[in-house]
Amino acid sequence: MMRAWYLVREALTNLRVYRGSVAIGIVTTAFALACFGVFLLLYLNLHNLAGSLQRGIDVVVYLNPDAPEQTVAEVRRRLREEPAAVTVSVVSKAQALREFRDAFPDDALFLGEMGDNPLPVSFVVTVSPGFQTPESVSAFAERVEGFPGVAHVRYHQDWIDTLALVVSYFEFGAVVIGVILAVATVTIVGNTVHLSLQARREEIEILRLIGATGRFIAVPHVIEGAMLGAVGGGLALALLKGAFEFLRFELYASGWFDGLERILTFFPDPVSLLLVLAGMALGCGGSVFSIMGLIKTRQG
Amino acid sequence: MIRLFHVSKFYGRCSALHDVTFHIDKGEKVILAGPSGAGKTTLLRVIFGAEVPDEGQILVQNRNVARLRGVDIPYLRRTMGFVPQNFQLLPQKTVYDNVVLPLIIQGVKRREARKRVGASLKAVGVEHKQAVRAGALSAGEQQRVCIARAIVNRPVLLLADEPTGNLDEALADEIAALLRTIHAQGTTVLLATHNQRVMAQMQGRVLHLRAGRIVSDSDARAGAA
Ligand SMILES: Nc1ncnc2c1ncn2[C@@H]1O[C@H](COP(=O)(O)OP(=O)(O)OP(=O)(O)O)[C@@H](O)[C@H]1O
Ligand SMILES: [Mg+2]
Repeated sequence: MMRAWYLVREALTNLRVYRGSVAIGIVTTAFALACFGVFLLLYLNLHNLAGSLQRGIDVVVYLNPDAPEQTVAEVRRRLREEPAAVTVSVVSKAQALREFRDAFPDDALFLGEMGDNPLPVSFVVTVSPGFQTPESVSAFAERVEGFPGVAHVRYHQDWIDTLALVVSYFEFGAVVIGVILAVATVTIVGNTVHLSLQARREEIEILRLIGATGRFIAVPHVIEGAMLGAVGGGLALALLKGAFEFLRFELYASGWFDGLERILTFFPDPVSLLLVLAGMALGCGGSVFSIMGLIKTRQG
Repeated sequence: MIRLFHVSKFYGRCSALHDVTFHIDKGEKVILAGPSGAGKTTLLRVIFGAEVPDEGQILVQNRNVARLRGVDIPYLRRTMGFVPQNFQLLPQKTVYDNVVLPLIIQGVKRREARKRVGASLKAVGVEHKQAVRAGALSAGEQQRVCIARAIVNRPVLLLADEPTGNLDEALADEIAALLRTIHAQGTTVLLATHNQRVMAQMQGRVLHLRAGRIVSDSDARAGAA
């Protein structure tokens, strides 16, 4: 108990004595983690967006405008048999016309003058969750396109494919940037700890003299690094949250992308915690890095 | 307690210790005498596991110090008290915090630690300075605090390197008396000094070191080692 208290107190003393370099260490750690955090946020939101787009996938099957009743029934039956289709709803010629008129009131007049309704019967197929990967959706669409009487099949494949590609680039980028920033953070924290280690040389000599193990001498520095990293992580989180809320508000105020500000999400709590823990782990890593020799040497 | 067999230690071409062989039994009071540069500090550091000899073997409490792994050295040191030549205290910390440090390292309970620090400081006569910063003490007081720190974990062996080096005669006499008392209470004492007066006061076996060699041993058994 007394020992634990001593070790923490030593760490706090080190942090206080070197507040200048500690502050620099915290700010740089925060900056590195915030950079990574921005990236992670972008990734998270893109991923969410891709997910929500994919979940909402409807495949629309247009029949030939002149397809007879019998063909409509046949296509409907075959669609229902498809394991990928959850619901199949029919949009009749009359319904299509109504929807068209609602969507484009100006052009409706022109369409009405044509006498015969030129719009085809279509089916809206909701894809079951098990088939919502880009590959299976396009396979499904291709198959349906081969049904007799089907004119063409439409879905947002290009969009989804592009998004999936971007997301995978982001995944790769996150790993690369993460590694670079992690190395930078470890180096920075290691430097800060190294400074206080230098300053504590005399004390370390005395500690050796009275039988302190390398571990005992090292622990305050590990605590120091961990605290530094955790505070840096917390600061990064605060910065990110601030910037995120600001951006969301601006987006809302500007009125662009109506509704986008509601889709945007910040990290869920566990991820926020993870960011702080990552800072802490990097801090620990940095200090362990600079005290490695200390633990092994015979007399210090 | 301590056995050295043909121990040599070189610093470059300079041999700080040369073929040193002797042994010290439990409960002895030994004075390591010799002029400056004779190798007294080196000898104590070798016993303490702070230097590795280039030749020879050292047994301290039946442990081969030269062969001890680095991680085991601290545990050996906890059985010894060491009073370094240039008394090393943490000047920013209080006397109490300086002396309690060995007990913190060993994980002694707070209440027990307080009792032992009190007893040690009382033994060296500075118990009234507990809350004072070590840096604010006089040289004699600092030397006493160093001794208090060395005996606070009740070592079986006390190594003192020139503990009277910076002190005037009266203070040196007091320190000598203090070491005699510590010895009388059962601790084996090995004291390095070149102060004739302290040597006379200590009234113990004298090992003479000159240029890294033992040139005389007031104890007749020395040859048998
Ligand atoms: N770390 C070192 N590097 C090089 N030479 C050293 C080192 N330590 C000691 N020596 C040399 O070894 C010899 C013995 O030194 P030591 O400190 O043991 O002498 P000493 O008897 O304690 O002297 P003093 O009474 O002045 O303290 C000296 O010649 C010294 O210069
Ligand atoms: Mg010396």
